[in-house]
Amino acid sequence: MSVNPALEAAARPAAAAGVVTRRPFRPREWLEREAVFSWVMLTPPLLFLLAFLGYPFCYGVYLSFVSRPVAEPATFVGLGNFGNLWHDPIFWQAVWNTFRFTGAATIFKLVGGLGMALVMHQNFRMKGITRALLLLPFIVPTVLSTVAWQWILDPGMGLFNRLLMYFDLVKQGPSWLGNPTLAMLSVILVNTWRGLPFFGITILAGLQTIPGELLESATIDGAGTWQRFRHVTLPLLMPVIFIVTTFSIIFTFFDFQLVYVLTGGGPANATHLMATYAYAISMGGGQMGLGSAAALAMVPVLGLILLAMTWYVRKA
Amino acid sequence: MARPERPRKSSRRDFLKIAAAGAAGATVAPAWRPAKLRAKPAQITFLRESSYVKEFDDHFKNILIPRYQKETGIKVNYEIVAAGGSAVPRLVSIVESKAPVDVAWLQLEWLYRDGLLDVSDIAEEVGRQGGGWYPAVKDLSIWEGKWKSVPFGNIGQVMVYRRDWFDAAGFTSFPDTWDEFMEAGIKLKRAGHPYGMSMGHGYADNNSWLLPLLWSYGAQVVDKDGKTVTLDSTETAKAVDYVRKLYKEACLDDCLGWTDPSNNKAFLTSQISCTNNATSILISAKRDLPQMGKVTDQALNPKGPKGRFHSLVATTHGIFKHTADPEAAKHFLRWLMDPKQVTDWYRSGYMYYAPFVHAYDHDPEWDKEPRFKPDQRVLETGKLPSWPAPSDRRAGEVISKWVVVDMFAKACTGKSTKEVIAEAVTGLKQIYG
Repeated sequence: MSVNPALEAAARPAAAAGVVTRRPFRPREWLEREAVFSWVMLTPPLLFLLAFLGYPFCYGVYLSFVSRPVAEPATFVGLGNFGNLWHDPIFWQAVWNTFRFTGAATIFKLVGGLGMALVMHQNFRMKGITRALLLLPFIVPTVLSTVAWQWILDPGMGLFNRLLMYFDLVKQGPSWLGNPTLAMLSVILVNTWRGLPFFGITILAGLQTIPGELLESATIDGAGTWQRFRHVTLPLLMPVIFIVTTFSIIFTFFDFQLVYVLTGGGPANATHLMATYAYAISMGGGQMGLGSAAALAMVPVLGLILLAMTWYVRKA
Repeated sequence: MARPERPRKSSRRDFLKIAAAGAAGATVAPAWRPAKLRAKPAQITFLRESSYVKEFDDHFKNILIPRYQKETGIKVNYEIVAAGGSAVPRLVSIVESKAPVDVAWLQLEWLYRDGLLDVSDIAEEVGRQGGGWYPAVKDLSIWEGKWKSVPFGNIGQVMVYRRDWFDAAGFTSFPDTWDEFMEAGIKLKRAGHPYGMSMGHGYADNNSWLLPLLWSYGAQVVDKDGKTVTLDSTETAKAVDYVRKLYKEACLDDCLGWTDPSNNKAFLTSQISCTNNATSILISAKRDLPQMGKVTDQALNPKGPKGRFHSLVATTHGIFKHTADPEAAKHFLRWLMDPKQVTDWYRSGYMYYAPFVHAYDHDPEWDKEPRFKPDQRVLETGKLPSWPAPSDRRAGEVISKWVVVDMFAKACTGKSTKEVIAEAVTGLKQIYG
């Protein structure tokens, strides 16, 4: 077999090198491989999440299984902290309060936000500026707006009672933060006020994606305003409503600043939420383990609620 | 087959390596110097809560820090935390994270006492120089035989009232007993000037009248042994009944939901005729509302069948165990508590922090504004909130869970005396095991 000597000469060094010689490593090529590139992109946020979310969370879980007073070494107590909370009437009151607070505030925000979005979807003068103004409660820092609410709810000087008295609705305004029922209502009201724009703007964004043709054809088919809303708008909005509600439940469930500033959980624990109670145990009582257990106790329950919601929406 | 050795050439990489090693060496070199050659610490970090009295903070910043720097050459970093509850969480986190703070102003030290250095030498010296400590504060600062903090001053919690309205109701001097206090309150509420006695989830303004009231009826929350819960007694029941009636007939409804700033706001807006508070109301009124400043006065808590009591809001100074240079921190604290420094510092704050040593009992500063004098006299009958039980972490938990405050607040919202005491006892037993 005749072989081209030039080719043979060219092939020789490669053959001699055999397995020892590899393709030269080219970092650029290596980086461009999808498996590598995606991890390179993912690593910084993952590290960030691990450091600032994963670590505190895992440390919290660890703390909930130990007795760990401030500046003292930890001793393992198993489920002791949770057992302690099980027999703690204030804890159960805080749990009940948290559910009432989250449930009522979420419903108010959902209904109000939907209404707000439907109104904002209409065409009227100064629409742009009205939309921007409605975002204000969401933008102002919670502590600041809560201090303002403290003034609004003041029994003697507050705006609410002044208005009630101005219109002769009452002779003496009620104590918004001193009465246990009204105090709960007040914190729900302030949370609703703060959370409404989030619902309103997000649902409005959802409304704007609904094609006009669908509504027009429904009108041609003889559907009235309510029917168009019920059978066209609402079903198409469901995914947005679901997402915004899920987020809101999580935020509301762990709300802390509002109650901490407004009532500190008083009067007589009427507005104590799990977050404020966990804080009182950890930072006030110095019981890091017990406080972590109080903060984490409801995470599984919240997880189940969110799972059930996801399941329901998928099914629907 | 072995690779043929190539003569090594100094490359750019080698140069970088050498340069990096050199830089690292230069950085760590100072640490290798023998200890005696090392200079004094360049700085001390001191943390304290901002005072309600601006002049007090200004004195520290503008006079004491420069003076220490001039005398020793050591820089003082002054870290200030907002007043009203932010300081304690910050102190807890300093102990937990070993943050670089050396000396700090302390409150509720039972929470993090284990993270503090023994400062017995300084505390004993300050006590000796100052004519002795008030005994009550020793129960806070001395722990297991050692001083863990050097007492600084007490924030006096007294009755702050509108003298003009009390006069108009026929009470020319402040009521001396709780019964007279009730009587005056009923009249004042009828005249449109109710009391505003805090019973919400604050820290100081609620405990500072409810605990003394409870003690003055002869009741105690927990026994001296720090174990036995003694709250369930006829004396407690009497105190609960008293508070329920006082709330209903003499107080503003809102005070059940108050946090610490609420009563200041209500008083300064003329909604209430009396509350229990620190001097901050009187100071604000004098400064910002001169008309009200003239008719605002302070008085000691009324007395009950077992005497007169006050609840101490003690502030102390301590050094963290994790400080890099304990001797430097001690030097600073000793210098700060020396009468040459501390006397003027107390005076700059109008004695807002009443000194815990007897040397200042008759300080001329007290005579400048006689209305501040009750804040000093609080020390005579003042007890720590845990009294008679030790000021340990469990006693702190009772306060942070508002067990006693809520007992009274629940009674005011309509629960029976028996029920609220039973609930409080359950809470206490859970804490004291």
